[in-house]
Order: sequence, then structure tokens, then C-alpha cells
Amino acid sequence: MSAELILTGARAGYRTIEVLHGLDLTVPAGKVTALLGVNGAGKSSTLRVLAGLLPLRSGSLTWRGKKITKMSALDRARAGLMLVPDERAVFASLTVEENLRVIVEAMGRRDISPALAAFPRLGEPNRLSQRAGTLSGGERRMLALARVLLAQPKVLLVDELSLGLSPKVASELFAWLSTVAVGGTTVVLADQYTEEALNLADVVYVLHRGECSFVGDPAELKPSVSADPV
Amino acid sequence: MTSINLAFAGISIGAIAALSGIGLLVTYRTNGVLNIAQGGIAALVAYVFREMVVEWELPIWASALLSLAVISPVIGLLLERFVFRPLARRRASAAESLVASLGVLVLTVGMTAGIWGLGSRPDAPSLFPARAIRLPGNNRISVDALAELALVVTVCVALGVITTRTRFGRQVRAVVDDRQLAELSAIPADRVAAAGWAVGTTLAGFTGILLAPRLQLTPYGLTLLVLETFAVVVAARLASMPGAVITALAIGILQSELSQFQVTGRFAALFLAVQSNLFVAALLILLLVVPRLRELGGDAGSTGRFSSRGAPPSGPPGPADQRRDVLGKLGGAALLLAPLTFAPPDLRNAFTVPALALIFLSLVIVTGYSGQVSLGVAGYAGLGALLSAKLAAGALFGLPALPGPAALLLGALLVAPVGLLTGYPAIRRRGLTLALTTFAVGAVVSRFVFQQQTFVARLHVTPLSVAHRTLSDRWFYVVELLCLGLGLLVVRNLHEGRLGRALLAVRDHTEGAAAVGVDVRNLKLLSFTVSSVVAGLGGALLMLGSSSFDPETFSPLNSLLWFTAVVVFGADSAAGAVVAAGFIVTIDTLAPAGSSTLAVGILALTLGWLPGGLASAVRGVITFLSGRLAEDLPYAAGTPLTPTGRQPILSVPPSGVLSVVPSSKVATAAVTPAGHRYPAPQNAPALSPFGQALVAWVREGTRLAPVTGARRTR
Repeated sequence: MSAELILTGARAGYRTIEVLHGLDLTVPAGKVTALLGVNGAGKSSTLRVLAGLLPLRSGSLTWRGKKITKMSALDRARAGLMLVPDERAVFASLTVEENLRVIVEAMGRRDISPALAAFPRLGEPNRLSQRAGTLSGGERRMLALARVLLAQPKVLLVDELSLGLSPKVASELFAWLSTVAVGGTTVVLADQYTEEALNLADVVYVLHRGECSFVGDPAELKPSVSADPV
Repeated sequence: MTSINLAFAGISIGAIAALSGIGLLVTYRTNGVLNIAQGGIAALVAYVFREMVVEWELPIWASALLSLAVISPVIGLLLERFVFRPLARRRASAAESLVASLGVLVLTVGMTAGIWGLGSRPDAPSLFPARAIRLPGNNRISVDALAELALVVTVCVALGVITTRTRFGRQVRAVVDDRQLAELSAIPADRVAAAGWAVGTTLAGFTGILLAPRLQLTPYGLTLLVLETFAVVVAARLASMPGAVITALAIGILQSELSQFQVTGRFAALFLAVQSNLFVAALLILLLVVPRLRELGGDAGSTGRFSSRGAPPSGPPGPADQRRDVLGKLGGAALLLAPLTFAPPDLRNAFTVPALALIFLSLVIVTGYSGQVSLGVAGYAGLGALLSAKLAAGALFGLPALPGPAALLLGALLVAPVGLLTGYPAIRRRGLTLALTTFAVGAVVSRFVFQQQTFVARLHVTPLSVAHRTLSDRWFYVVELLCLGLGLLVVRNLHEGRLGRALLAVRDHTEGAAAVGVDVRNLKLLSFTVSSVVAGLGGALLMLGSSSFDPETFSPLNSLLWFTAVVVFGADSAAGAVVAAGFIVTIDTLAPAGSSTLAVGILALTLGWLPGGLASAVRGVITFLSGRLAEDLPYAAGTPLTPTGRQPILSVPPSGVLSVVPSSKVATAAVTPAGHRYPAPQNAPALSPFGQALVAWVREGTRLAPVTGARRTR
């Protein structure tokens, strides 16, 4: 099992508050890695570090054997390491079509039909010319995922896929995510404890206060989820 | 016939204002920064252009090409790269960007004044030939006006096509929407932002070069004129380009048309003032009338991040704190008293320090403590000066001439209603709207009061006298210090206790404060009123110190400079305000005039790296150093580093097994302000008194994260 991303001794934070206290993380290539933990455990911060939005204070990040600690978020996105943030993941004042077009063009392509094939709801009549800001929460998540799909990333980082969504929509999106993973894309996903995330994941990291408190097979965790909500 | 010809003449000035407005809008819509520095950049480019044509005798086209196609965009690119990109990187608030652009304004004005002096240059070359084209019906339109109009139309059409039709336009709109998400979507956001800046500064350059030949070119005059065109973007609600163009042309034509009327009698002066300052009047009226500007990025209202400190602790201060406090105050007082021993000319220079310090204190009240941006402080200061001078001379509404000190205090108090009036719009306004409104108030007061002969002609400044004896220079300085002491007392009362906490709550989260029952409305009014009185007192002292009322001292540009200085030296620091005044006066005394402007501008640009101003940087360095020192000191196991004290507490180690940990072990995991853990040896010897004081200071000087939460224990 080759490693896609290796994060070693990561310390990072916001202003005077350190959030990650020397986190080690290895993301296997072509698998789904789930980062679990309660609010404030450092899941989102870890994803932001991986995407280049949050600079490391110490430690290093390696992607396919190449050190990318200093690489900018833009360059990582261009190289195919893409994050779907948990909020504000679409351009609200652009139409649905423009949202899709702008990312396709940035990656040097033109075709937006794969996104519409994956999420037929976005291709409904009049939907393409609707402003993304007027979409419902679930539709907005779909659009966010559709955008990233078009970019054909090598590594997909998804923050709080299920946040604020109805269980039905959430499981729809998780189902889609599993197809992406089957296609060979490495997926890192951060979530609160959810069945879906555990079912999907090949490897689970449980974060606690900016440190890793468990690494391993999701099967080991499953019974304890209902027993101990931490 | 005249009307039509006047309209053509008005088109010219309107088109220039439109260009300036378009430049502002482009920068604002691509970067979220309202570029207050537009005026400074325009003046700088105009001076460079004049230098090339007049001094170096380059052909006009070559100079125009150099200054508009090379220098102007390069200024924009540099600003984006070194000033505004770092701010955007850390998602700075709009208020911080506003201060950064104020810094650029102060810096560019300082540079222009430093290189070319403050004198006026009547020989600014005109870009287009000074000819007129004859139209049917005996009308004439100048080549200027035609060319400028053509320029506006071209720019508008080009920008419109680019934003709506092209791939780059889509990228621009994506970046405007969410810069971070744009980068995550592989869109080169920095390049888009840089393009926005380059276009904005190029149009600023056009504005400067086109305006320069129409007036006696001076650094301050041209800058102010460009600032007044902000009326145009207010009318456009910071969004609509056609709105900006139409308003600009309308104001330009109206101004031109008004010049054909002659008003005699009582309102002659007022009419003339309105006619020649139509843009300023429009700016204020539009700000009061236009319901809401479409500001980017939501909350631009909080200036909380200029301020690094919360409320002072409510309990009695510890002995270490008291000692530090007393030492600091004694040192400060000694420095302020030092000028009493100076030679007379130096003492007279020092007159400015307490006066300026009072003006700065008024900004500390309104910006540092209650979080409202105020860019019109010079207006209050000037009104205080004017009113106290009139009172002392017995020239105000037939009131008898008051003795000096009474006139001084009453004059300052009479500014309160004006402060209250400007506080009213501030209740509902915030962010850029508030900033522009306060600026407009200052500009209107300056243009319609300070520069009107009706008010300032034959204004005699009587030296301050007590019991019919004119005060000597020394005693005048003592009176100034007493006034400063009074101001400091007011500031202290506003910062401590219930009131101080309420103000801070308004500053840090207005809605939250309102939700818990803080009377936001009256607190805002109170801070504006008190601040205007303090500024009025400072202004009156400033006038008495220089023995004359100089409208230039209270020009709106000085409001901007003073606000920037206060933020640079720490908006919430009363000591910072006094130090800032001392700093500016010292530099202006020792170095050529205008150097302080340059210095403040340079310091302001470092705000990107020092969010709380110099005061917080100094505090930060001290905290850091003492933190490092404390790290090297051995810890006593019993030192109460944790709120939990000595009781054993429960904690969850990463293994997930609950265990009981004695408190001495918890202390070893103490978290420093920087957040990193440092190990402390167990059973270490007790701290020395110095070490204890240091640790106490470090802990109280910053907010410490609670080390062990009760939430962990189950």
C-alpha cells in the first residue's frame, strides 16, 4: 500500500491558539481515509493543512514522495489536490453553469457534461442558469462536489460532507463519494462520527484535541461508536 | 446657448470624476478594498508626469505613455503584492484593508510632498491640446471634454465586455465572490486581484493627469479633490458602474450650470460654497440618503482587530501590576514635563504635543474603545478651535467675551451637539459607510465653515490669560498638560468598569452586545459625543499654541493622517496616543516638514504584520521575551498555573483510558500564550519574586487558554 500523503509532526493553528500539536498522518493511495472526532478535534484544520490553506508551524507534508510543505493552495489545486470546504463551497453570485465552467476552464478543459451526468438534478431545466446562492443546502453540496469532479483531482479532500443535510441527501452524497473512491481517487474525508463515513473508509484516524488517538481499521471502531460518543 | 456650452464644460470634470469612480469600483469589486489612496496615487502620477514634461522636456506622448502605461500600473501591482496580498491571505477585515489603504494614501502624499514640496505648480501640462471644436449652433466643445468622454465610454465598454463575456471575467467574478474558494478551484486569484489593482491605479493616474492642469497643482489639493469624487461611488452603491458614470456626469454638469447664476445677499457666500464644492456636498447627502452600500465581505464594521486588549481586569490589580502602572505613569509624566526646561523655541514646538495627544485620545475613545471608524476628527478639532476663539472674542451669537480658560472649555463643550449629530448616522451605519460618512462630515465642515470668510475672517486669537494676565509659555504648557490630564481621566472612566465593558462589547460584537441588553444606540452616541468634545479641546489648544486659526491644520486630509497614526500606535492605547503625538511632533521638528507623514505611512503599511499597532507589537515583544525567560526558569510544582489549582483532576489521555492525574503533572502541561507546551521539571525549586512577577505579568497580559477543561472530566 503506497502512501499518497504523509504528514509528520504537524503543528498548526490560528493566531495564538495551536490546534494541531504534532500530528502524524499517512493517507494511503487510492483508498478512503476518514478523519473522525468531535468538534474542535482538528479535523478541518488537518484538511486545511493538506490543502495548503493553513501553514504548518513545524512538521512536513509529502505528496507521492515530493515535499510540498511550502506549496501554495493554488498550486496544489492545479496539481490535483483539491479540497471541498464545509461551508461556502460554491460561488454564490455565479450561476450553476458558471460555477462548473469556471473550474473546468481553470483546469484547461471545456466539457461540463460529466458533472451533469453524475448529478442529474443540476441539469434540470432552468437549473443551470440559477444563481448558486439560491440553491438549497443539499443542492449546493452537490454542486460543490460536481465542481470538484470536473477537475478530476488525484486527491479529494472533503470536509463535513453531511453537515446540515437531511439523512437522505447525505447518504446520496456518500454513495457518490464511494464511486469516486472506486475510480481510484484518493479520498480524505472529515466528519463527525457517522455510520456512513465508517462504512466508506478503509482507514480511520480519530483525532482528539489536535492529536491522533486512534489509527486503524474502521471495523475496530464500529461497536464503540454507539457505546461511547466521547 | 450658455447652458449648452456650460454643460459641455461640465462634461469634462464629470468625465474625470467618472474615471476616478470606475477605478475605485474596479479595485473594490476585485479586491474588496476601497482604495482611499486613489487621491494620493493620482497626485503622485500627476507630479511625475509634470516632471517628465516640464523638467526633463520629454514629449507629451512619451511622458503619458511612461506614466500611464508603466508607472501607474506598476504602483498598483506593487501595492497588491506587498500590501494587500498579505492582508487578503489572512482574510483581514475590510476595516484593516481600509487602514492599509489609508497608510498608502499617507505614504504617497508624504512622498509627493517630500520630493516636490508643498508649493503649488501652476504649469502642469495638459494631456490633450487646448482647442475647441465648433459645433452647429455656435456651440463649442473642447477637445478635452470629448477625449475624456470617449475615454470613459471606452473603459466602460471594455470592462463590461470583459466581465460578462470572457473566461477572465468569470474568473474575476469567482474571485470577487470568494477568493479562497477560487484558489481551491485552481483559479489564479492573485493574478485577478493584481489586474484589478493595476486597472484601478491606472485610472487614478488618468484622473491625476487630467485634473492637474485645471488647478494650482499641490500634493494636498489634488489628493483631496480626488477623494471628493468618492461621491460617485457612493451613488453607485459601490457596485454599479453606469450609476457611477451617470452621477459623475450629472454632478459635473450641475456644477458647471450653477456657475451662470448670480446670487446676492445673505446666501451669496453659501451659494458660492455649494457651487464650488458640489462633490463634497453630494458626498455627504448621498451617504445620508443612499440606503445601503453593497459592501463586500459582510462585516466591515468592527475595528476590534486594531485593538489587542480586552477590558481591564475588574478586580483590584496585583502589586506587580500596580508597580508597573505607577512606574509607567511616572516615566510618561516626566517626559511630558521635560519641555518645561526647554529653550523658548523648543518649548513652543512642544505646545503641539498635548494638543495633538488630546485629538488622538478622542480617536482612541471612538475607534479603540467602541470600535467605530471616524475619519472626520479634524472637523471636530477645528470646530472646537473656532468656537473657543469666537467665545473669547465675544463674537458668538452676541455672547459676552469670556475669559480664556472658560472660552476654551465651553468652546470644546459646544462641539458636543455636532458630535451627537454625527453619532446619529453612526447608529445604523458601520464599516465603509460610517468611515465615508465621518469623512464627509469633516470635509463639509472644512469646506463650508473653515474656508468661508464669513466665519474665519477677522478671527482674532487672544492668547490664554488667567485673571487678566497673559500666561507665559511655560504656564500655557502647564495648562495644556492639565487639559491632557483631564482627557486621560475621561478616557480612563470610559475604559473601566461597567461602561468600559459595555463599550468593548459593542466594539467586539455589536449584535451580541445588543442581544444581552447593552444599550448600543446610546453608547455609540455617547462615545461620539465625548470624543468630539475631547477633539474640540485638542483643536482649541492647537490653535492657541500656534496663535492663529489655520484652516489647513483642520483639513480633512489631516483627519485621515491622524486616524492612521492612532491605529499605528495602537487604537486602544491611551499611552499610544500620547506617544504618537510626541513622535509626530518630534519628527516634524527635527526633520523637514512632512517627514512625519511619510513615517506614519510606512508604519501603517506594516500593519499587515502587526495587527494591533505598535503598542501591541511592543506588548507582544515583552510578552515573548518574558515568556522565553520564564521558560528557562524552573517552575515550582505548587505555582498556580492552572485554574484548577492543586486538586487532582480527571483527564483523558490520548489512550482513552480515564485516569486520575495529580495537579503537579497537570502543571507540567501548561500552555504558553503561543500555545506550545513546555515541560516543567517536577519538584523544581520555588520561583524567585522576580520570576513570579514575570509569570503573573505574562499570564495577565495575554489571554491564556484554559489548560485543563472541566469538560474533559466525566
